[in-house]
Amino acid sequence: MELEDIVIEGSHKNFFTPSVNFNAKTGICELSGESFLEDTQEFYKPLIDWLDEYTSKIKKPIAFIIKLTYFNTSTSRCILDLLNVLKDYEDDGGDVTVNWHYDENDSDMEEDIEDYMIDTGLNINIIPF
Amino acid sequence: MESENRLTHRTIDNVAISYTGIFDTEILSVLAKEIEGKLSADDKINKKVFKIFIELAQNISFYSLERELNADGSDMGVGTMIIRDFGKYFEFSTGNKTTMENIIPVMEKCDNINSMDHDKLREYRRLQRNMPAGAKGGGNIGLIQVALTANSKIEYSLIKCDDGAYFYIVSVRISKEPDPEEERPRRRARERVRE
Repeated sequence: MELEDIVIEGSHKNFFTPSVNFNAKTGICELSGESFLEDTQEFYKPLIDWLDEYTSKIKKPIAFIIKLTYFNTSTSRCILDLLNVLKDYEDDGGDVTVNWHYDENDSDMEEDIEDYMIDTGLNINIIPF
Repeated sequence: MESENRLTHRTIDNVAISYTGIFDTEILSVLAKEIEGKLSADDKINKKVFKIFIELAQNISFYSLERELNADGSDMGVGTMIIRDFGKYFEFSTGNKTTMENIIPVMEKCDNINSMDHDKLREYRRLQRNMPAGAKGGGNIGLIQVALTANSKIEYSLIKCDDGAYFYIVSVRISKEPDPEEERPRRRARERVRE
């Protein structure tokens, strides 16, 4: 069974759905926009499962790109879960790059990214825009 | 009658945005748009207030003792939100009915959060984030985020209602001026990451 790509178009309605583009062929996975969801776990579980599958079966390099401009605290736990899968993969010898783009005026976001680096032990490239 | 009006005016002066009623997703969305787009000319400040709003408004939706059914038939909390503009800062407050039993742990959490400086709060947020959602002691992350975002203490008060319940009010101040201290902890954190 081939691992299918995940493509979700983000929206900013009553809740804010992030855009997701996980590509199994290229290993480029992007999460962008805003994340404030009615059921955060339900949204992120398939993304975590996808990364689990990719890192245990496909085992090719992975570039994880985050361009979230806002996420609530409920989402923040799920981001940690995603990054922990990537850290486990790296510890097993996987090739992992994490680029996190943020608005340079958003010092809170910069601190948040630094805290994720401390928590996961992943080297995150912090890229202001 | 006139004196009553004046009293009302004095009680709620400096109001930028206020709302009382059901906190369902439709209303949250309307209020969020008001805050994000119109509260002030500074998008950075609006975003801070918006982030605080999301965390505290959700607490009303989930935990307010006073409940109402919305148009979809979902049972949602009723409460109040007031944003007041005092020139140099905004004061963001929410209020909702609760019981003494439910609110004591929340007030203890606020006291604990208020005893910490910025770096300690970041450490505490990391600790909470690593705990599974719903784990014992794991419900503080929204309040920690509020304190970190506002960069102020969380003030709270309780008013006894006629029906024996309590009205719980929580407030934070969001400064409109750049914080001269802000640069220092950030640099320290970056150095820690590099070590």
